[in-house]
Amino acid sequence: MMTTFIKAISATPGKPAGSSRATETAAKLIDTTTCIGCKACEVACQEWNNQQVTFGNFEGTYQTLPDLAHNFWNLIKFHETELDGQPLWLMSKYQCMHCVDPGCLKACPAPGAIVQYSNGIVDFNSDACIGCGYCMTGCPFDVPKLNPETKKVQKCTLCTDRVSVGLEPACIKACPTNCLSFGTREDLLRKAEDRVAVLKSDGFGTAGVYNPTGVGGTHVVYVLARADQPESYGLPKNPQIPWTVSIWKGPLKWLGNALLIGGILGTFLHYLRYGPQDPE
Amino acid sequence: MDLKTPNESRLTRFSVSERVVHWLVALSFLYTALTGLALWSPRLYWLASVFGGGTTVRGWHPWGGLLFVLVFASMFRNWRSQMSLDRDDRHWLRKAHHYAVHDYAALPEAGRFNAGQKSLFWMQSIFGILLVASGVVLWWPEIMPRLLRELAVLAHPVAAMISIGGIILHIYMGTAAVPGSFRGMIQGWVTPGWAASHHPKWYREHVESTGTTRAHSR
Repeated sequence: MMTTFIKAISATPGKPAGSSRATETAAKLIDTTTCIGCKACEVACQEWNNQQVTFGNFEGTYQTLPDLAHNFWNLIKFHETELDGQPLWLMSKYQCMHCVDPGCLKACPAPGAIVQYSNGIVDFNSDACIGCGYCMTGCPFDVPKLNPETKKVQKCTLCTDRVSVGLEPACIKACPTNCLSFGTREDLLRKAEDRVAVLKSDGFGTAGVYNPTGVGGTHVVYVLARADQPESYGLPKNPQIPWTVSIWKGPLKWLGNALLIGGILGTFLHYLRYGPQDPE
Repeated sequence: MDLKTPNESRLTRFSVSERVVHWLVALSFLYTALTGLALWSPRLYWLASVFGGGTTVRGWHPWGGLLFVLVFASMFRNWRSQMSLDRDDRHWLRKAHHYAVHDYAALPEAGRFNAGQKSLFWMQSIFGILLVASGVVLWWPEIMPRLLRELAVLAHPVAAMISIGGIILHIYMGTAAVPGSFRGMIQGWVTPGWAASHHPKWYREHVESTGTTRAHSR
């Protein structure tokens, strides 16, 4: 069993009770160098979360869908590229990154619709979600998707229901090559570094860990053979919460509130000081 | 109150259609502004409860904005030609601080609309367009390109802040600050004395053209 507290709540100032307590973290490691693109994780995710997706037409790729969907939270991206004249076929599992500094939570205007647990999982609560879609703009990974029927935004929960009772996430359970592992973020970052060292000694000089610092680090970390170009895997090179979102939720909020209160108070004070213009 | 046959001491300030359009603009603006404020700050999220809850507010706020822009377009068409700023108006704006402290001797005389009202008209037009353009992007985030969404989340609140700020001033001017002006927009008439002191050019034009103090709006 994993003890968790709520660390941050969308549109709710201040820190929730217990948020400062250190608890074990939950994280995923995706070693793309041993992924065989079997999609067992996709199936396990759909099965566990009891979701069905309608498939489109065959687009000449092994990829199940062009992008994540509101009812498809785990997608293996297939990328064909070239390295030193040699064809390279890259596969990487794509899902919510569970950022340490989540842009979705920052952008959300509905109190309680997005929470971050002390184990690092970022989760959406449909009952408080109003379907505005601001999280879709706040997220630099384009992960949250709007369900057109319910008008609620949905994404990977890092199987918080399983993790909270001591089970590993469904995708990890299903992986046949052990390219996916589950553990604390600290352990997995160490494990990732070890793997990178092995890859480097095997001649992959460009191998590295993908744990983007622009969002404070993530609870889903990757080992990439070509860490110098994460875009080849469909991962953003330097993901950051959009600066417009940061200004909007930062200085602009104070300026706007000051203007609103100042405007109302200012006109009232003007009336007290100068009174009405020559009354009839 | 018989508005069909105003007596000699009543000048028609705003026609019925002008007033209907003005109040449609006002109500749609008020609804859209208050529901927008609910989503602006967690401290104002209680406004969402007043208007039916967060999901309802998210669903209807854009429609309120759409209604606003449609009725505003009608108001814009009616008043645009009367709102151009002439030399006196520009002079008036430079001396606006005298207006704020009731020192009218330093100010050029105003026509049917004074330079402050004209400025508000253009300000609301410009920021109204910005609000609608960014609002459409925020309405359907699932089909809008990322760059537009990132700009819209900033442009929408900035435009709303200026627009709401202008309206706070407008409501103050139209009610407490200038006695008699609210009746002009509700019942549609003002007294000759009010017209002569607040909009002397408009008043004189009218007396000259009709030879009476009976005024007609355009």
